[in-house]
Amino acid sequence: MSGTYRKVDRNVTLTLWERLYLPEVIRGVTITTRHFFVNFLSVTKAYFGGKPSDRKIMTIYYPDEKPVLPEAYRGKPVLVLGSDGRGKCVACGLCEVACPPKCISIVGGMREDGTRRPVTYKLNGAVCIFCGLCEEACPEEAIVMSDRYEGLSEYDRKLMVYDKEALLVPEEKLGKRLDYIRRRMFGKWNY
Amino acid sequence: MSEYQMDLHTEPMILNMGPSHPATHGTVRFLLKLDGEKILNCDTEIGYLHRAFEKHCEAGTWTQVFPYTDRLNYNSAVQNNVAYALAVEKLLGVEEKIPARATYIRTIVCELARMADHFTNLGAATLELGALTAFLYFVEARELTWDLLESIYGARLTSNYVRVGGLSSDLPEGFAEHVRKVFIKNREFWREFDKLLTKNRIFLDRMRDVGGISQEDAIAWGFTGPCLRSVGVEFDVRKTDPYLIYDQLDFDVPVGTTGDNFDKYLVRMEEIDQSMKIVEQCLGKLPKGPININDAAVRNPSKADVKTNIQSMIHHFKNTIEGINVPAGEIYVPTEGSNGEMGFYLVSVGGGKPWKCRVRPPCFAITQAMGDIVKGAFIADIIPTFDMINLIGGECDR
Amino acid sequence: MGNVIMADLARIPELLPSIIEMVAKVVFIFTMNMGVFAPLLGWVERKQSALMQDRIGANRADILGITAFGLLHTLTDAIKLLTKEDFIPRGADKPLHYLAPFIAVVPALIAFAVIPFGGQYVLWGHKTNLVIADLDVGILFVFAVASISTYGSVIAGWASNNNWSLLGGIRVGAQMLSYEVAMGLTLVGVFMVYGSLRMTDIGVAQENFFHWGIFLQPLGFILFITCALAENKRTPFDIPEAEAELVAGYFTEYSGLKFAMFWMAEFLEMVTISGVLVALFFGGWQIPFVTHEGLVKFFGFLGSNFAQVAVMVVHVTVFWVKVLGWIFLLMLIRWTLPRFRYDQVMELGWKIILPLALVNIFITGAVMLMVM
Repeated sequence: MSGTYRKVDRNVTLTLWERLYLPEVIRGVTITTRHFFVNFLSVTKAYFGGKPSDRKIMTIYYPDEKPVLPEAYRGKPVLVLGSDGRGKCVACGLCEVACPPKCISIVGGMREDGTRRPVTYKLNGAVCIFCGLCEEACPEEAIVMSDRYEGLSEYDRKLMVYDKEALLVPEEKLGKRLDYIRRRMFGKWNY
Repeated sequence: MSEYQMDLHTEPMILNMGPSHPATHGTVRFLLKLDGEKILNCDTEIGYLHRAFEKHCEAGTWTQVFPYTDRLNYNSAVQNNVAYALAVEKLLGVEEKIPARATYIRTIVCELARMADHFTNLGAATLELGALTAFLYFVEARELTWDLLESIYGARLTSNYVRVGGLSSDLPEGFAEHVRKVFIKNREFWREFDKLLTKNRIFLDRMRDVGGISQEDAIAWGFTGPCLRSVGVEFDVRKTDPYLIYDQLDFDVPVGTTGDNFDKYLVRMEEIDQSMKIVEQCLGKLPKGPININDAAVRNPSKADVKTNIQSMIHHFKNTIEGINVPAGEIYVPTEGSNGEMGFYLVSVGGGKPWKCRVRPPCFAITQAMGDIVKGAFIADIIPTFDMINLIGGECDR
Repeated sequence: MGNVIMADLARIPELLPSIIEMVAKVVFIFTMNMGVFAPLLGWVERKQSALMQDRIGANRADILGITAFGLLHTLTDAIKLLTKEDFIPRGADKPLHYLAPFIAVVPALIAFAVIPFGGQYVLWGHKTNLVIADLDVGILFVFAVASISTYGSVIAGWASNNNWSLLGGIRVGAQMLSYEVAMGLTLVGVFMVYGSLRMTDIGVAQENFFHWGIFLQPLGFILFITCALAENKRTPFDIPEAEAELVAGYFTEYSGLKFAMFWMAEFLEMVTISGVLVALFFGGWQIPFVTHEGLVKFFGFLGSNFAQVAVMVVHVTVFWVKVLGWIFLLMLIRWTLPRFRYDQVMELGWKIILPLALVNIFITGAVMLMVM
């Protein structure tokens, strides 16, 4: 459509006023001073008024206050534990092949009643790149990306290899994410 | 030569700048030969962030390349996703069938990523020139932009958002409103940054007439993007070779005159403004509808279909395990990355895996010229020059 | 011999008030500088920059959950720097490497000796002058001592056996040399106007609000503050330690307590500069539109001696508040502006400030001739 190439203004000819250092210094200092006092007042107000939202600053007191995560957030991948107390995974191995860095390894097997289950399910957290392709591949909605982002780093790589027990999370706790997957991410109206 | 001078033994100082030096972020090393503060020679050494990206790609399926493309230019990760997806789609011959909504959303995320990239780049440049406050104002703007992107694809840097044939998810509810709020703030930060620096004599003295390059040299070195436009060459892939919906949008492309650091700075500043305009236009026109191609051989089927429809399920398994079957052939698709022309050259011999996946990173070509640009300048000039070249290690070294 | 000592001892009761006064003043200034400003300015700098940049700033160090707005970081810094390994690079000139931080920090402390932080008061018949050393060369002493601290930085750059440090050291040398010349000349106008080099005289002369240095010497003030910033080696004149170019300049190879001394020297210099600025241009301890006698009369109900004490307290407080205000402003400037390039700093010093300072002297002289 429209829109062209346009030359930028290089302010080659500064006025004498602008060529002096002082006016620009004053202008800059005015901006930063305004920020200082706005923040100073808002932080003081929040400190005495007690509401963190009064602070007009960008940062938060992290471990005391937590950031609000969006629905789409991709945290630690977890296995879904159904309401019947059984893991939903049927050990089909799709996540294993879908994983780009190949951090998942599964050994499949049978339960006594004949249903399939993973005998071992290992996810190497040190290798995982949190891409979410396992979640996309899983036909059973058994592995999903939770919103957990804390406690994922260890001093020992061996501790970062999660087994089935470490990965299983009850379905109720993942309701939001499962809903997100069904409704938005892989919704039927997507195509 | 007088006797006095003959007795005075002088030799140039060899200074090793980087790879771990505050200014050589993105891990690069300059071997400087100095005469006092003047640079006699500058050897640039790259490759400290080499991770065998291209070899990685050959090992996985076409879809599995997406997470790795995020790690190219990590400041505007989603642009790499889009560039790669466009190349694969062209190789598949399905580029006409991509739904309009997907194309619009791709444009939106591309421009948001461009904004974030320029925010980071300009901010980092001022940080290294000593103006920490201006840097943090742009970091705030970038954080707000990244918040927008995070609400779309769930991560700030590692986007992994685009898929062959569409997108992995739709925009969240209330996105347009969120964008409107963020842009008000971003524009304010933009104005404050502009006021703090653009007419500041100290900043001007540091930036203007430093790091310039002639048009011929720029073209000969293979410059693209803001660095090429800053020398006055009217080249923008979005205009010369429109992809996505850039031919239907109204936006200006800023060009400079001399290609010095100040021109590069101004071009980037203006591009942020134009990107905001583009995003607003796209949101205004955003059509309703699907976000994925209606072709079972390419797309990811919905979870409901996988469970109820045997066709979908087989395709799902086939696509995941074997990968999308891309016909034999080769292709190069250029896109306008935030640093310059970002292109993927793909070769397929049929089957689910790329045979060759070559990236044309913009900053690789520009970094080559670093030694030439700074020769004869002061040691302090390396900083703004190198910042304005915007070397991203992930993209340059791959 | 013994007689001389006896004679001196005999004079002790007579000199006692003076000795007490001198010790009290030294202790007061030393505590203000080393005990309050040196540690506290680190906190002020952190918190002020944080609020300017929409952040919270350091606030995590705590004792039993009490963080005191991040003030405890000062303590943790001290503990950290004290217990850190003192690293001397291979090939460094050890004695000089060791000496350099001392040369940097001591002059910064001494320079405050001639800055009056209050006026003259008669307490119980004893005349008290609130300045440690009331030298008749006054401000020249500050320059002389400040020049010595330059050696600290230069020696640090030389002794570290590191190319970055060396470049930083060279830059310090060149920058300090250029700006000291200009700085001296910018103040000549002030001496002409007040007709004295003694800083207490200048302070007394500023009792009238419209006789403050800033009104009599506006150009001199602007030039002086620029030079002072350059002497302080902080942004926009921090080229000797420009972290993006020279890693940390002349103190790249310093760690632990020696690093802390450079750090402290920077803050103390800032206090000294603010002190000089206040003493010469902002009326020192004087309150606008309030005369010394007026204040004494105001406190007259306390009795003559205690009225003097009250006036003294007010004056000293006013002086430090002014100094704090200047520190705040200097920090604002430091966090707002980008830095110059090496050659641009030289250009500004020699081609702009030096001629302007000379012009200022000339104009001052001409105006004084006309007025007289």
